Amino acid sequence: MSENIVILMLGVSTFLGAIGLIALLWGVRTGQFDDQSKFIDAARYDNEEELRDAVMMEEKKKKALKKKREKSYKPAD
Amino acid sequence: MADVACTHCNLTFSEDVMIVEDENYFCCKGCQGVYHLLNAEGLDTFYDKLGDTTLQPATPQVDDLEKFDLEGFKKKYIKINNDGLYEINLIIEGIHCSACVWLNEKVLHKTDGIIEASINYTNNKAKVVWDSDVIKLSKIIETIRSIGYNAYPYDPSLQEERAVKNRKAYYTRILVAVFGSMNIMWIAIAQYSGYFTGMKQGFKEILNVAEFILATPVLFYSGWIFFRGAYYGFKNHIANMDTLVSSGALLAYIYSIYAMTTQTGEVYFDSVVMIITFVLVGKYLEVLSKKHAVDTLDSIMGSTPTEVTVIEDNAKSLISIESVQISDIIELKPGEKVVIDGALVSGEGSFDESSLTGENEPVLKKESDEILSGSICLDSVIRYKATKDASGSLLHSIVSLLEESITKKPYIEKLADRVSGYFSTIILLIAVATFVFWWSYGGVFETALIIGISVIVIACPCALGLATPMATLIGIAMAAKNNILFKEAGYLETMAKSDLLALDKTGTITEGKPSVVEQKSYQAYDTNLLYALVETSNHPVSKGVKAYLEKRNEKLGKINLKEIKTIQAKGVSAKQNNQTLLGGNALFMRENGISCDEESEHTLFYFAIDGEVVHKFELSDTIREGAKEAIAHIKALGVEVVMLTGDHEKSAKRVANEVGITEIHSRLLPADKASFIEAKQKEGKVAVMVGDGINDAIALAQSNIAIAMGNGTDVAISVSDVVLMDEQPKSIYKAYILSKRSYRAIKENLGLSLLYNSITIPLAVMGYVTPLVAALSMSLSSLIVVGNSMRIKRVKLSKSKDKS
Repeated sequence: MSENIVILMLGVSTFLGAIGLIALLWGVRTGQFDDQSKFIDAARYDNEEELRDAVMMEEKKKKALKKKREKSYKPAD
Repeated sequence: MADVACTHCNLTFSEDVMIVEDENYFCCKGCQGVYHLLNAEGLDTFYDKLGDTTLQPATPQVDDLEKFDLEGFKKKYIKINNDGLYEINLIIEGIHCSACVWLNEKVLHKTDGIIEASINYTNNKAKVVWDSDVIKLSKIIETIRSIGYNAYPYDPSLQEERAVKNRKAYYTRILVAVFGSMNIMWIAIAQYSGYFTGMKQGFKEILNVAEFILATPVLFYSGWIFFRGAYYGFKNHIANMDTLVSSGALLAYIYSIYAMTTQTGEVYFDSVVMIITFVLVGKYLEVLSKKHAVDTLDSIMGSTPTEVTVIEDNAKSLISIESVQISDIIELKPGEKVVIDGALVSGEGSFDESSLTGENEPVLKKESDEILSGSICLDSVIRYKATKDASGSLLHSIVSLLEESITKKPYIEKLADRVSGYFSTIILLIAVATFVFWWSYGGVFETALIIGISVIVIACPCALGLATPMATLIGIAMAAKNNILFKEAGYLETMAKSDLLALDKTGTITEGKPSVVEQKSYQAYDTNLLYALVETSNHPVSKGVKAYLEKRNEKLGKINLKEIKTIQAKGVSAKQNNQTLLGGNALFMRENGISCDEESEHTLFYFAIDGEVVHKFELSDTIREGAKEAIAHIKALGVEVVMLTGDHEKSAKRVANEVGITEIHSRLLPADKASFIEAKQKEGKVAVMVGDGINDAIALAQSNIAIAMGNGTDVAISVSDVVLMDEQPKSIYKAYILSKRSYRAIKENLGLSLLYNSITIPLAVMGYVTPLVAALSMSLSSLIVVGNSMRIKRVKLSKSKDKS
């Protein structure tokens, strides 16, 4: 076994591990693990209806924001 | 008749008291209403998700919705986002399972104007974002209430954001440390086997560099906390555990880099990451317990009103508590919580002061009596004059004191690691001296540096890394087996040094609830009537009688009573089949025309049917089993025992005499208890405080070691260092014995490792230490320390049993 192969093995495995670590840290930072049970419930209650619900909420937000913008927009006299 | 479950809340009741509709049974109108609402909204799949979980019956809520739309409320709790949407953080009451979370989110999502709603199941906290043009906050709260839950706001910037940030920072550091140490360990295995079987220098270098790359972020990113701690220690002229961890790890790291680049000796990167990782995980547990305390504090704050009714020129107006001035006249309605201290000017009523004094019985207040914030007005409309403003009031000072103690405490504890501090200073001095000696005599800088660092490496990880933790670990495990939970290892040491024990009365020395000690029946009657009557009241005396009846009678039937009237602090009256039932104290009987003039040192409860007393009960707060023996044993250990109580002197004396306490301090408010402890601490005493209620929380936070009873309030448990799960006074004695024994073991361990190091360190100083010797000496000294700590397990805790 040449030394280069050892370097390659160590390098690749550490790099892959580091990617996993960074992904995990990103998850922690963005609050994805704040509520453990919700994490599981999301899988338990996952169906078409929940999906529709999420889309509905998104649209509602879009609409509300649009309305706000229109209201704050004052045309020049 | 058979018991059936309510279709909504799943609680089971006898069939004849249920509301029957089609094939559904409901325990109350509230549950029925919620059931129909959910069906109408197409949310009935909630019941499939709920399964067998029971809920609280959906009781109608008090009508206080208008307060949510007030300006003061808006300023305090509502955040206006950049995009013009409103945001609030709520605590939702009544969440039992994931189905509840689902239902609440679903209903909020369906409501017009709500843009975002997410609920955290673990702590029942919710974040709601809404469009204020479409919906008002009061409507949102009403929606949550309509499905049988309740919501109140809290201010996250107060504590939570800080705690969450802290926790996440620690978590990230731990993840990096664990990743680094796991990878270094398997590289180290290759290195160790290479050391014994022979390995080419080239391979060794590759492994060294790989370890170096992995160890660097662990030491400087994860270990940053220790460098910071060492810096603060240095500023205060104290060598603490952080000093040793950081200096040991840093020097081992520098030495390893030196060994790596010059290809002399072995690298110690694995020791560097192991030290950092293990100590960091221990610290993280501390941060976790702090997070819990913050959650409970938020719920106290959230339930306090933001506005009070002030009377000006005979007109009522709601003004925010911050703008209340001294000598303003404030009106209180039944059920309202007092937020501003004052003196009563008109009306009289009973107040629940349990969160201040720990006593469960309501107190009757008359004109010019003092009204304290934190108490709850129970039964009548009264007016009082403010004697303090909001920030000077008792409730505010309790909350701010608690807030302070939660954030402050660990730093005080950190300074307690004296023994380890001295040791680390000595080792550092020896290392420096060795270095100077070799440099000045040998003249070679490199050799001097290697020998100097090897002194630290050989002494640091084992002697100190194990001497204290091993002994405390076994001490804590032993304590846990005896139902005593020490939240942190360091507390054993502090408790061992304690020479003052302050005990709360109600709930600590006594059971905290009245139970029947004597009873006399005057004529035969249907016990079920009395049972039904006492069941309608939440008063501790009624509960005591109820518990007594349940213990005595196996089968108690349910009787429906009519015209139930509860007169606070006096008794209950009700009607059944033309019979008038009365249950209450002597004053209540006299008011209803029944002559009662007995005197008793206990609380009396009379039961009368149609104007004639048929049964008399004497109730008293019973002293916990073994309290007297435990206190006597603790005194024998040389600890001063005092009693601190919010109760009046007479009952305090009675209990104190029974358990053998001579020093009593009665009628103390929460802050008085804390200042008593503080005064004693100034005299140089190390104080242990045992309590169970919110009223003890400040004193608990002030004391060196706080012990809470297992069924105490959340706040008390979260500010304490030790929790007694079995609530037995003799557990306090056991905690003393265990901590004293563990402390002795710590001292022995430190002595042994010092002895061991006094043999190995001179060898290192003389430059004889090879890696093999270092490895052997490490494991041998570890074995000795572990063996000595195991002896703690043989300590006898049953001394109290043998004697009594």
